[in-house]
Amino acid sequence: MRKKNFRQDNGTAYLLLAPIFLLLTIFVVVPFFYALRVSFYDWSFYQDSAFVGFRNFYMVLTDDLFLESVWVGLKFALMVMPALLVLAFLFANVVKRLGPRLSGFVKTAVYIPTIISGIVASVIFVFIFDYTGGLANYIIGLFGAEPRAWLADVATALPSIAAPAVWLGFGLTTLIMLAGLHDIPESYYEAADLEGAGAWTKMRYITVPLMRNVILYLLVTGFTAQISQFELSLVMTGGGPLSVTTTPNLYILNHFRNDVMVGNSIAASLLLFVVLGSISAIIFRVLNSEKAIDG
Amino acid sequence: MQAKNGKSGSWTIASSSLLILALAVTGCGGSNGKNADPSSSASGSASPSASASASASASPSDSAPAEKVKVEFWAQKFEETTDAWFKKWVAEFNKSQDQVEIKLTIVPGDAWDQKMKAAQAAGKAPEIRTINYGNVANAAKTGQIMALNDLMDPAAFDDLYDNIRDFVTVGGKYYAYPKLVEPSAVLYYRKDLFQDAGLDPEKPPTTWAELLDDAKKLTNKGVFGLATAQTAPDLGWSSWGMQYNAAGHLALTDDWSKADINNDAYKSVFNFYQTAYQSGAMPKQALAPYADIKAFGEGKVAMQICGSWAIGQLRNTYKNMLDKVGVAPMASIDGDQTKTTATLGGWTLAVDGKAQHPKEAASFISYLLAGDPNIMIDFFKTAQFSKFSARKSVDDAMKSDVDASKDAWRALIAEKVIPYAQAEPIYPWDVSFALSTAIESAMKGTSVDKAIAKAEKDIDDFIAKNKLAGTNPKA
Repeated sequence: MRKKNFRQDNGTAYLLLAPIFLLLTIFVVVPFFYALRVSFYDWSFYQDSAFVGFRNFYMVLTDDLFLESVWVGLKFALMVMPALLVLAFLFANVVKRLGPRLSGFVKTAVYIPTIISGIVASVIFVFIFDYTGGLANYIIGLFGAEPRAWLADVATALPSIAAPAVWLGFGLTTLIMLAGLHDIPESYYEAADLEGAGAWTKMRYITVPLMRNVILYLLVTGFTAQISQFELSLVMTGGGPLSVTTTPNLYILNHFRNDVMVGNSIAASLLLFVVLGSISAIIFRVLNSEKAIDG
Repeated sequence: MQAKNGKSGSWTIASSSLLILALAVTGCGGSNGKNADPSSSASGSASPSASASASASASPSDSAPAEKVKVEFWAQKFEETTDAWFKKWVAEFNKSQDQVEIKLTIVPGDAWDQKMKAAQAAGKAPEIRTINYGNVANAAKTGQIMALNDLMDPAAFDDLYDNIRDFVTVGGKYYAYPKLVEPSAVLYYRKDLFQDAGLDPEKPPTTWAELLDDAKKLTNKGVFGLATAQTAPDLGWSSWGMQYNAAGHLALTDDWSKADINNDAYKSVFNFYQTAYQSGAMPKQALAPYADIKAFGEGKVAMQICGSWAIGQLRNTYKNMLDKVGVAPMASIDGDQTKTTATLGGWTLAVDGKAQHPKEAASFISYLLAGDPNIMIDFFKTAQFSKFSARKSVDDAMKSDVDASKDAWRALIAEKVIPYAQAEPIYPWDVSFALSTAIESAMKGTSVDKAIAKAEKDIDDFIAKNKLAGTNPKA
């Protein structure tokens, strides 16, 4: 029986798997279980760590700020993801129709924000939202409006940090969308044309259904990435005003920096892991991943 | 089939050897990152063993085979002048004797906590570190730093001012040696703009009401009347002076059993910030963080409340502004300028709780901070007298220094602010932050009563959950 399963390249396969297996073990699996253990302790580097059971988790779960920060993360993702997906989808459709030379230029141009680091983008947008000399207030000033405190006003702070997030994610999302669009066989559209379908009908019945897996992928990775976002709020607002831009990761970082004991931040990280895991699971559930129809 | 197999075989060999090579490289990188001295990335110092052998072979005196003891020293990054001062005197110390070699690493403030935690977790924390007064008690309580009583000359501690000695005392022992103090709140104002607004440039406001009133009068197109802290992280510490001023105490009772803020004194603090913000005299969005006097230096505000360190920034960066600037103690709630208007922040050096060479580490602290007064005078000079001595002997020596004795701003702060200033609180930052979040919410429109009630509840919850009652290390 076992002989049947034996293949000549098994050895090579294991050999090829070994590096990633080893690296994952060292940098992901071991730290994960170690973190699990530590989360049950009042962990200090100088004194003996004391076992405290679920106290760290209790502290985090009963901390209004943590729950608020998860909510902030969700709101942030809900602001960024729809805008990002719709814009990227529309733009990818435009790029698809461009000539090869022009589309090459546009693709490069649109990708540039992706390679700019989040910190640099935050600083650029801090200048844009500056109260006395910023571009945003200059533009609304042209229409006679009073300057706004974009980053200090409870109502505008979160949208203001969502804007650079959309800008940063736009390039990569567009390119992935574009790849998905190119994957749809032209013959479907030709057939639809013969039947007299309009642009909207083609979009509704051909493009969107066949893009499902691409969108699912972008949704899941994008959602978790946006909820875990923290450098934008760290640099642009420091989590304020009040706590309306304190994302979960910023909350964890603040605790890590300020707390005398470390157990609390680790418990919070593990809880965030649970939150992100369940959100991804819900997205998968709602949008069933299916094999593409064209095979 | 056979041929194809052979072909793919050679491919797998090639690619797997590539992978193994990659693994070896990353593996090495990983272990380097883990084992190498954590400071190496910033200072470029080699790993301990490598530098030891290097210095042994490069040792100039062949007659002294005994190797110098290497001691790591992390200093938080401050102004350029301070960094230069650290470098200069570390080099001097290393030259002055052949027992101890101090390795200085300057760590940026925003990277400090992460870097320190990582080093502590790896058991590679520096043996000497900078630490501010507010953190000394907790670090002592959790064993992160070592008592210095047996490591340093007791006379060095007698030289400190009594109130400042108290900042580093926990349970009757000294856990750090002070380098400087700096009051957290001083009023800077523009004399020319006072004149333009019909105010007397020689009479800066002395009560909170006057301050708010003047701020409104000074607000003009393009110039705001007042800049002070307006975000919770800044308010958390910069409002301590005003809390002392109004209430005579800070946010917790002495035994840390509950919040002590639901009273008229704290309401007036909240009212001050609320009025200042909502009157339009303050910008709606901070032009710069509290500790930075940039907005004032660039002429965008007429009055700014900032720490004494801003003197250094004004003198170094905004020289053309100097003759228009007035400096005064921060206004008091009722005009009584002998009440506390500021807390004394500042920095000390401490020896790590797990230090391998505590004696050697302490000898450096003695040399730098507690030794020859001229070393410290050199520091205060480079800091443009924006920071103040914790030692009597240094102040005495400074009296005969021409530059120091002529400096009117220095005299004003030394005589009218510092004598009434208090220590920073040592209770957890969460308490200050809960309070300052409430102040910020009052500024943004919540009623003062509601904001205080929320802060009181948050602080009491925090005390209960963290079993804080009765844990004050200084009570």
